[in-house]
Amino acid sequence: MDQLILAAECDVANEVICAPADVKTLFEAHGVWFSIGSFDFTRTSFLMFLAAFIVLGILYYGLRNQDLVPTKFQASVQSLMELVRDGIARDIIGPEGVKYVPYLMSVFLLVLVGNMFEITPLINFPITSRMALPAFISIVTWFIFVIVGFRTNGFGYLMAIAWPKSVPLALRWLVGLIELVSVFLIRPLTLAVRLFANLVAGHLMLVLLLGSGVIFVASIGEIGAKAGIGVIWFAFGLLIFAFELVVAVLQAYIITLLSAVYIEHSLHPSH
Amino acid sequence: MEGNIEILKGAIALMGYGLAAVGPGIGIGIVAGNAITAMARQPEMAGTVRATMFLGIAFTEALALIGFVLFFIA
Repeated sequence: MDQLILAAECDVANEVICAPADVKTLFEAHGVWFSIGSFDFTRTSFLMFLAAFIVLGILYYGLRNQDLVPTKFQASVQSLMELVRDGIARDIIGPEGVKYVPYLMSVFLLVLVGNMFEITPLINFPITSRMALPAFISIVTWFIFVIVGFRTNGFGYLMAIAWPKSVPLALRWLVGLIELVSVFLIRPLTLAVRLFANLVAGHLMLVLLLGSGVIFVASIGEIGAKAGIGVIWFAFGLLIFAFELVVAVLQAYIITLLSAVYIEHSLHPSH
Repeated sequence: MEGNIEILKGAIALMGYGLAAVGPGIGIGIVAGNAITAMARQPEMAGTVRATMFLGIAFTEALALIGFVLFFIA
């Protein structure tokens, strides 16, 4: 009978082993804090504002009053600036990429701080796992590369994408069609979904592994010695915790790199 | 016979994701393998090759992640 204890009806006295209603409760578990009209302010909204202020703080305190010999914090922000400006903007876009460094830096730091929230001890919730943030970053990147494309190439931008001269004439219409759909629809979609799905998967795994580890150990009263399996789940959860650190930094780097690649493709559409 | 395929909806979605993960798995292996070969042949280009490898991995991994998200939608 004790095998069915987790599938049985939930009694309120033993709430530690109640199954969540559905997946959504793992992502919006805390209620609405207050409402302004029809806009609900939840813990997620507060964390998004917190991430924005942390990014502003990093950039402001790291880049003002440059000493001749920089302090450790200034040196690390400078090396971050070098990564985005030289490694991403200049290497991918070329010399005129410096114009886009403010945007790329903002995206990189916001996504990095947002992803890092998944592994900071008291927060444990990545704000980029709510589709609003990746979707908005992707929409802004889309507007930037479309507007840049039309501004530098005029109407020839659409023709350079839909009628690629480097393809044999018989296939030009097909490749052009694929390129049109890919550049204007698939790219922003995958840019958002890549970040979103990575973070959702990470958060879900951490919640399930670490949470079920705690639940198993906490229900040692009902199931006795079998609660030891909770320790295994918790240990595996700690391994995934370390992996999520790599995923957080990697996804921030990749979204910035891909934004730069799309902008470069708009500036020089015929490769 | 009163079958009800609605019960299997979650299992079919899970199988769909499993099938969708095969292609990107092979693709990422090919990208990373070729990147390692390139870095071994010409060590001074390792930085550029590494950056391009991440780019290729991001493109192929997006398809696997679209499958993962569709599992939750279905």
